[in-house]
Amino acid sequence: MRIRPRFFIGGALIVLAIGYLIFSSIRTTSEYYLTVPEVAARQTELGGQAIRVAGRVKPGNIAWDPNSLTLKFEIAPIPDIDASGAPVKPVSVVASDPVSFRVIAAGEPKPDMFAPGRDVIVEGKLTPDGAIAASQVMTSCPSKYRPKQAQ
Amino acid sequence: MPQLGKLALAIALILAVYSIVANIYGTRRNAPDFVVSARHAIWAMCAMVTIAVVVLWISLLHSDFSLEYVAAYSSTTLPTVYKFTSLWGGQQGSLLFWTWLLSIFTSIAAFQNRRRNPEIAPYALAVLAGVAIFFLLMLNFVTRPFDLLATVPAEGSDLNPLLQNYWMAIHPPSLYTGYVSATVPFAFGAAALITGKLDDGWIRSTRRWAIFSWFFLTLGNMFGARWAYEVLGWGGYWAWDPVENAAFMPWLVMTAYLHSVMIQERKDMLKVWNLSLIGLAFGLTLFGTFITRSGVISSVHSFTQSGLGPYFLSFLITVTLAYTALLIFRSKQLRSPAEFESYLSREAAFLFNNLMLVGIAFAVFWGTIFPVLSEAVRGVKITVGPPFFNRVNGPLALGLVFLMGIGPLIAWRRTTTSNLVRSFAAPVAIGVATGIVAALGGIRQWYVLTAFSLAAFVIGTVLVEFRRGMNARRHMVSEPRAKALVNLVAKNNRRYGGYIIHIGTIVAFVGIVGSSFFRTEVKKSVHAGESFTIGSYTLRFQGLEQTDTPHLESATALVEVLRPDGREITVMSPAKLFFKRPQQPATKVAIRSTPFSDLYVVLAGIDDSGQTATFEVFLTPLVFWLWAGGLMMVLGTVVVMWPNVRERAAIATALSRQSTDARELADAAPGGD
Repeated sequence: MRIRPRFFIGGALIVLAIGYLIFSSIRTTSEYYLTVPEVAARQTELGGQAIRVAGRVKPGNIAWDPNSLTLKFEIAPIPDIDASGAPVKPVSVVASDPVSFRVIAAGEPKPDMFAPGRDVIVEGKLTPDGAIAASQVMTSCPSKYRPKQAQ
Repeated sequence: MPQLGKLALAIALILAVYSIVANIYGTRRNAPDFVVSARHAIWAMCAMVTIAVVVLWISLLHSDFSLEYVAAYSSTTLPTVYKFTSLWGGQQGSLLFWTWLLSIFTSIAAFQNRRRNPEIAPYALAVLAGVAIFFLLMLNFVTRPFDLLATVPAEGSDLNPLLQNYWMAIHPPSLYTGYVSATVPFAFGAAALITGKLDDGWIRSTRRWAIFSWFFLTLGNMFGARWAYEVLGWGGYWAWDPVENAAFMPWLVMTAYLHSVMIQERKDMLKVWNLSLIGLAFGLTLFGTFITRSGVISSVHSFTQSGLGPYFLSFLITVTLAYTALLIFRSKQLRSPAEFESYLSREAAFLFNNLMLVGIAFAVFWGTIFPVLSEAVRGVKITVGPPFFNRVNGPLALGLVFLMGIGPLIAWRRTTTSNLVRSFAAPVAIGVATGIVAALGGIRQWYVLTAFSLAAFVIGTVLVEFRRGMNARRHMVSEPRAKALVNLVAKNNRRYGGYIIHIGTIVAFVGIVGSSFFRTEVKKSVHAGESFTIGSYTLRFQGLEQTDTPHLESATALVEVLRPDGREITVMSPAKLFFKRPQQPATKVAIRSTPFSDLYVVLAGIDDSGQTATFEVFLTPLVFWLWAGGLMMVLGTVVVMWPNVRERAAIATALSRQSTDARELADAAPGGD
């Protein structure tokens, strides 16, 4: 199929415009998606940067104030999954894992599925004192496709 | 009983393999008996998969917990209707359901083409059977729905409460129907490439399938959005989650395809483009299943991983490579003699519309896989959230809406300036007037003003088209207005049904813009008897009602809604539910919907004394129109799909032309393809 040059130009302009939109938007809207140990390793360079942290709610030390809608808890690493899909360590061991971060989520209702031991994604920023000021806490939406070992 | 299901799936796999061999052998060796037996094998395969589905359904209804699947996704206390829908509530069942749909559609295609398309149909059916083989291999060897448990539990772990909702009962089947039916036009496109019968025969014989697929993709996306809105309780309906994107991308590409095939049918252009689009649409349906099941891309929907990922990825890569190779192999024959003449032509408008749609699909794809790419390239996962998708797709959506107004009114080949002025004067005036009214009404965001003006412009163009057609009819046959309008749509259903879909899309677009820009939100903890305001409404919390049943515990808040003058409008009752099996809380949202705005009340929390409740309330203008627009799109598609005598005649002509070609070809090269 032959396309006249000026048509080619029109199409190319649209493609370039779309490319530019994608490129510029990626730069301004990206967030680091990190695990708890990764946050620990990069703590110094993450100040003020928008981050998403995947982790597990550490049992104990959870505070929920319904009046100010403030949820405070600690987020610990999700235990490694080995090849068969089973956790390497039992969940109870996670509670004593040294790496964890305090999360303070203010102004948001507590998610339904929020509970100790649940996997969560926390969106927010690292504060100077090493806590995560969260703008959103998302719990693992109960997936339809649960792994076998969960049953 | 489960053994029967297992056996049926094994036989189905063998039949699928046989149908491929018989189809190809029969066509190449000119042995029609084999082609017929291949067709019968496809029907038998469909019967086998149906048996497997029925077996699983019976097991679910009888709560046969010796089956791992039933124990995992059902329980004795689950309402019957959800026992039924549990068929697609879990991994194995949903794959079985998928395979079932595929075998039904393949059987229908085999029936439709028992006398039609003798050259390409056998190959198309072989491609369809090939796809079925992949799914049957998964069901037989990788993720088996009829696996038994060593110890039979007394009770199942129940279907997830969030999925126990009527939208969830119909959303997956719609989406799957849309996904799976896209395989049929893909298979015919692939068959056209394999056989070198590259005229528009494959498009014409599968046009209905493409519209059918688009229709169910539209429904699936709408149902999913509606489910998210009613059930998830965050006040929105679309979050650009990977799973949502996976359903949105095939819809975009299918929309592009439905437009660009018109250029090929009319002008014999864009052959490569159309074949690429249908390949892309099919690939994206596989990609969608891949990302929802593999856990490669973390989504709020699916944290968990399953072993299916590598298989789907391998299949996807194989299909993509094979299809691309075919396209390259046939590229010389796919050159088109015609060319674009002018920017001011319908084909140009369609071409740009296609670029926009594919551009949006690409942006969505890029944003979805960006975490994986950035991790591979830079070693750190970087995600882009809704702001990315909104920033990229917002302007592109405006461009699309603009083209939607231009396309239908502009002539094929080229348009003169005087024609342009005559066609567009009224719609442009309507658009500008709407913009001015909106600005005077206090809207200041340039995006909203542009969007509303363009939306009014498009509706103006469609009205002009209806008026023009109606007047032309009245001029010729002198009918009353209403009758002329009905006849106009009935006689040209493809065209005017398309316009109705356009209006629906615009209405939905207005709903999306309004709800995205003007949503307000209030979060408040109040004691019984206290009130708070949102917009012009006052909400008074009257108190909590608590109930306890074997299935769930619930706390319902009674919220009185008052107008500024103190008159009560209604009492809303958002609730918190606590399911007992599995132990899991859920939220029941209360929504009061009007064409102007939706009042959306979530009971976010209660304290132990039952005296204080935390509410999250959203006031979302115009969201009503998103659903209304969806309904109009459905209506328009029904008009498009309505059987039309003229179109049948066109297909018959195309087919007879094809079989003449076929005879010539057969004479020239006996026994060859």
